[in-house]
Amino acid sequence: MSFIEVNEVSKAFRVSKRSAGIPGMLANLVVPKYEKKQAVDNISFSIEQGEMVGFIGPNGAGKSTTIKMLSGILYPDTGSVRVNGYIPYRQRKEYVGSIGVVFGQKSQLQWDLPVIDSFELLKAIYRVPDEIYQTNLKRFIEMLDMSGFINQPVRQLSLGQRMRADIVAALLHSPRIVFFDEPTIGVDVVGKETIRNFICELNARDKVTMLFTTHDMQDIEKTCKRLIIIDKGAKVYDGFISGIREAYGTTRQVDVEFVEDCTVKPIEHVEIKELDAPGGRKKRFLFESREMQIDSLMSSLLADYAIRDLTVSEPEIEGLIRKIYNGEVAR
Amino acid sequence: MKNDTIYLAGVYTRTIMKSWFQYKVDAVLRSLAVFLREATGIIVIYFTLLKFESLNGWDIHELLFLFSLLFLTYGILIIFFTGLRDFGRTVRNGGFDRFILRPRGLLFQLIFSNADWFAAIGHGSLGIVLFVISAGNAGITWSPGTIIYYTAALIGGVMIQGAIFLLLASLNIYLLETNSLKELFYWNMRKFAGYPVSIFHKAIQFCMIYIVPFAFVNYFPAQYLLRKEDMAYPSIYMYLTPVVGVVMYLAAYGFWRYSIRYYNSSGN
Repeated sequence: MSFIEVNEVSKAFRVSKRSAGIPGMLANLVVPKYEKKQAVDNISFSIEQGEMVGFIGPNGAGKSTTIKMLSGILYPDTGSVRVNGYIPYRQRKEYVGSIGVVFGQKSQLQWDLPVIDSFELLKAIYRVPDEIYQTNLKRFIEMLDMSGFINQPVRQLSLGQRMRADIVAALLHSPRIVFFDEPTIGVDVVGKETIRNFICELNARDKVTMLFTTHDMQDIEKTCKRLIIIDKGAKVYDGFISGIREAYGTTRQVDVEFVEDCTVKPIEHVEIKELDAPGGRKKRFLFESREMQIDSLMSSLLADYAIRDLTVSEPEIEGLIRKIYNGEVAR
Repeated sequence: MKNDTIYLAGVYTRTIMKSWFQYKVDAVLRSLAVFLREATGIIVIYFTLLKFESLNGWDIHELLFLFSLLFLTYGILIIFFTGLRDFGRTVRNGGFDRFILRPRGLLFQLIFSNADWFAAIGHGSLGIVLFVISAGNAGITWSPGTIIYYTAALIGGVMIQGAIFLLLASLNIYLLETNSLKELFYWNMRKFAGYPVSIFHKAIQFCMIYIVPFAFVNYFPAQYLLRKEDMAYPSIYMYLTPVVGVVMYLAAYGFWRYSIRYYNSSGN
């Protein structure tokens, strides 16, 4: 049995459906119409203890709903969730003491009070023993470089500072599992880097199991080995990040700079794009790796033209993900 | 309650106090504003009633005593039930999800994590002022017996209104917003409660006694202490306030426990 087991879980919401305008509003008042929206549709996956898994998908794909079921906020309609031996939504009080949840968009800090006051409150809520609290606090403050603003009211913090404080707030009770829901949203490049490093270290040193949702692919690439992609409530990919390229990244791109202006005659299976003016020196060749070998393309080009420079690039993960979201690649 | 729970309630209270009084001038002004807003209403009623000898046999001091019970109970109520008053907002902004994620009782967190001290001070101090003005002049004789009765009636009155708040919060889980229901069933009925229930139409009397039982918050306790002649109801009602409070609260709590299973977060 894995540490986190999600088994054929589905969850639908009832949303009220309304026609436009005042007549629509009145009609809705008399006969309310509801629409069933399938937020999560028969998802299964399992995560081992100490794993760090990226969990991505376009807006409305069902990420937050899944995290809410994993953390015990929502009951699944069908299927089962088991984390660390607990059924989250049935054994709430016993279970939530062992997890931490960071909602990047919703702070859990006391807005008007210094950061440290929120921490003290959380210490009491989670019954954290003194020594553990002091050790954790000292360590996290150091790692996230927070000593400068720990005594400032939360309302005066920058978004990056607030986010760091929120991350610490979710970790003071030494949770075994942490769910991060967009922990870098709105944070600048340096701040993002600090947060990513912190998360990596926490995973490496403390063996904390983590599930990480974000829209920033760099977050995932820099922290996680494994990636789960969901779309429209269903799982579309589950595997290593490197596996994405093998599974979907079959397009190759070769940018060529010729010695002089020329027009290249059409090559079968290859799309040619002009990077300069038509008939110019710089051109891009796009092709599917199963339809065309790179060496045969090169030899046919070199036979007829003089080449000054060329770069071969693999597709970026981010571009691939975009294609998966758009349904451009076969699943 | 276990020691540890009491300790947490203490930490919560300290945190709320710190937050609320972060802006000291504003804190004083807001308490004063609540006090004046409510007091203005009373002053208007006071001068209107001076034109009458009495209302169904109740003179002005006795009427003020009725009001004092309303304000005192609300002042106490709001220390504990602000979280339920604002429950709709807490649900909509996702704050309730956060409570679910913490290893503590949900109702406990709602009750102790928020307290509108401005309303408590505003209403409470007006209640005390009215009590001081009216209690002596209305001719109540205070003995250990009546003091115990009065305390029990206060607590019962708080529980009756707390039960209404808890019931509305439970309905909120299905309806997402219950402010208009609160306006209708709580605040409107409370306006009637400033006067002896006997002056109203039978239908309103029925509502005040059996539907939204404000009569048990102030009218029946006042009857016990004042023994007016308009008491056309079973005399046992004068003793029932604490019972009604406990029964209503338990019923509302049962409904809350039942409803909470249907909670469906607020989306993102």
